[in-house]
Amino acid sequence: MRKFLVTILTIFAIVGVFAAGGKLVIAMETEPVGLDPHLVTAFASHRILENVYDSLLRYGEGMKLVPNLAEEAQAVDPYTIVFKIREGVKFHDGTPLTIEDVLFSFQRILNPDTKSPAAAFYQDVESIKMIGDNKIEFKLKKPMASALLPNFAGVNSSIVSKKFVESGKNMQLETNGTGPFYLAEYVPGNYITLKKNPYYYVKDQPYVDEIKIVFMPEEVSRVAALKNGDVDIAKINEPLNLKQFPEGKFKVYRSPVLSYYLIGINTTRKPLNDPKVRNALNYAINREAIIKAVAFSEGVVTGPLNPAVQPWALQPKAFDEYTYNPAKAKELLAQAGYPNGFEFEIVTSQRYNFDKVAQVIQAQLAEVGVKVKINLVEWGIFIKRWRESDFDAFISMNSGSIEPDIQFYRTFRTGGSTNVFLYSNPRVDELLDLGRSEVDISKRKAIYDELQRLLVKESPIIFLYSANQIFVSNASVEGFKLLANESLVFLRETYKK
Amino acid sequence: MSFGYLIRRIITSIPTILFVAFLVFIVMHLVPGDVVDMMLGTQNYLTQEQIQELYRQYGLDKPLIVQFGIWLKNLAALDFGTSLRTGKKVIDLIFDRFPVTLELSVLSMFFATIIGIPLGITAAIKRNSFLDGLVRVIGLIGLSSPSFWVGAILIVIFAGLFEGFNIFGYVPLTENPLKNLQVMFLPSLTLGLMLSAQIMRMTRSSMLDVLQQEYIKTAKAKGVSYSKVIGKHALKNALIPIITLFGIQLGYLLAGTIVIENMFALPGLGRLLLQAVNERDYPVIQFVVMFIAFLIVALNIIVDFIYTLVDPRVELR
Repeated sequence: MRKFLVTILTIFAIVGVFAAGGKLVIAMETEPVGLDPHLVTAFASHRILENVYDSLLRYGEGMKLVPNLAEEAQAVDPYTIVFKIREGVKFHDGTPLTIEDVLFSFQRILNPDTKSPAAAFYQDVESIKMIGDNKIEFKLKKPMASALLPNFAGVNSSIVSKKFVESGKNMQLETNGTGPFYLAEYVPGNYITLKKNPYYYVKDQPYVDEIKIVFMPEEVSRVAALKNGDVDIAKINEPLNLKQFPEGKFKVYRSPVLSYYLIGINTTRKPLNDPKVRNALNYAINREAIIKAVAFSEGVVTGPLNPAVQPWALQPKAFDEYTYNPAKAKELLAQAGYPNGFEFEIVTSQRYNFDKVAQVIQAQLAEVGVKVKINLVEWGIFIKRWRESDFDAFISMNSGSIEPDIQFYRTFRTGGSTNVFLYSNPRVDELLDLGRSEVDISKRKAIYDELQRLLVKESPIIFLYSANQIFVSNASVEGFKLLANESLVFLRETYKK
Repeated sequence: MSFGYLIRRIITSIPTILFVAFLVFIVMHLVPGDVVDMMLGTQNYLTQEQIQELYRQYGLDKPLIVQFGIWLKNLAALDFGTSLRTGKKVIDLIFDRFPVTLELSVLSMFFATIIGIPLGITAAIKRNSFLDGLVRVIGLIGLSSPSFWVGAILIVIFAGLFEGFNIFGYVPLTENPLKNLQVMFLPSLTLGLMLSAQIMRMTRSSMLDVLQQEYIKTAKAKGVSYSKVIGKHALKNALIPIITLFGIQLGYLLAGTIVIENMFALPGLGRLLLQAVNERDYPVIQFVVMFIAFLIVALNIIVDFIYTLVDPRVELR
């Protein structure tokens, strides 16, 4: 028996050498849902596809728009954008990128049968046409050229091969982009392997031959895998776990993100239909305390726009409501006719610490006499209730943008597609329309300044904070960088010493 | 076992499997939030017409009972469906994932057996000794510790303990047996430890029963060696309830151990099912659950068959 046991243990314990020459292994918690760049909505899909496909523009350091497949992008006038398409670019299958591919990509996005999320971005595009043999012109119905530009950097605006799509390939399963990596293997539930694209138009990139992204849903596993050397880089969600990575042996990367935690309010249900009541809640919430308790101080307080979004964002201290002031909250509640507070329900789900944020808020609002009932539901049920505006209030996260029009328009415009708050304010609508078409930066800033103040005062959403995204790598990893939109485009510049 | 018996068992199990399929179908469609909701998430970028068209495309616009009928019809034509979210054939997904779960189950049962049965026998022989007490306490701990806790503790202990020992990064057994066994070691040990507690307790009580039987006394009186009394006369007769337990446990393991597969990032059936439920990927949920129901029914038949091998008095008619 003993001999038997020893043999078994030996078999299991024989040392296997983990070799990684020119190869990076990254542990992520979620895996992509589909691979069609024009259809995907999940962050996990975006993170993979932005390395496989290219868009006309992309985000560089500090979220600045930089040329990508378009060598140049020019807002000729508020109604016209012209892109000069880069020459000598090839798809992964070796076929050259042509201007037809670019045209075809946007036609595919705009075709209602495709059902692309990006179609909504381009709904005010009147025409797209070629000028000469290497330029493409977008004519707009509304003067919103500069507001539209960031959309051209998104994964949903990727340029695909006309020939490839028309050959009937299932784009959810197969890829053919121009990006720095091609998708070599996808084993669902296990990993994705990206390999260096030999045709990539940036000569020396990417730096590594291969990137393997392994899907590990549990944080404890990602931590252990990194410590054990099974992976080189891991996404970390719980700041407390950072203690396990001593400096010198590991590198920690953190950056604030554009997405933000919020309390969304149904502005048609009593008593939260009264802006004064909503405003009172704003005063009664101590955002710093939430960040401390839930995110272990890994986060920043955010107004309607992330404070890092320049030049548009008003800093949190610009809003009176952001100074925790329970006395003022009580005063406002009394004025609104609720001196003894009231009761309402917050619907939320057990994702991304939403439940914990809800608990802290429950405690904070209790201080001013407002009783919160937390209703924790499964994510699918949450989505259903969100879509049907079936809530008093909810706690969730919204993805933000560096472009105020993208961030605000659909969310706060009367009848906007993500205006589940059923919020309607003529002045807000007016400002949204003005901001969209204003070309002069200082005038545009004035518009969005007013809008931000109005949104905080009226509080259809109570903006809370942005959590830092955190990654940890072993010390040999170089060149890894994070972006505020939670993208991993810098994998092309990452390597191991 | 007669052939007729087998046929009868198979035919009577079909309604069971279909009933399970029907139940899952109804429950999944009654849960709020459907596949289109999950796809759109909190983005809402499609028009009402486009959304309606998606429902039509997925066949979700028809009454539930009609949808179930279509599913049954396709099943009869051996069309097991296509994942709504990934576009992959469900049958391919099962072929990819089941071997992982099968291997995990077999290895877990292996650990459960080599730990559980010897300890159970020892405890029974040395009844009421210190050793017996110790084994029983360990058993109780094993029964009451949740797998996610045991798994996490084992991960923490093992991470970085042996240079180069792979805890994560599943590869198929056929591709790299060494790495495969390394990666499978901790998850199967975690499950094995938990199951061994049950097996140990069952072995102990079953052995105690048998050891008090008259024929054991007779064997001893005849001068049969001690090890032969235990190994041949006692253990064989004590095995029946243990085999029943085995069948139940294996069924539970094959259904996919969601927690352990998630924790150790194994691409098994449990994880596939969890993801499909989260995304309301109906065809995947539907077929995976039916597949599991099928496995459990098959396992039951096999267990019954094994009874006849161990105990000739059992006859299946």
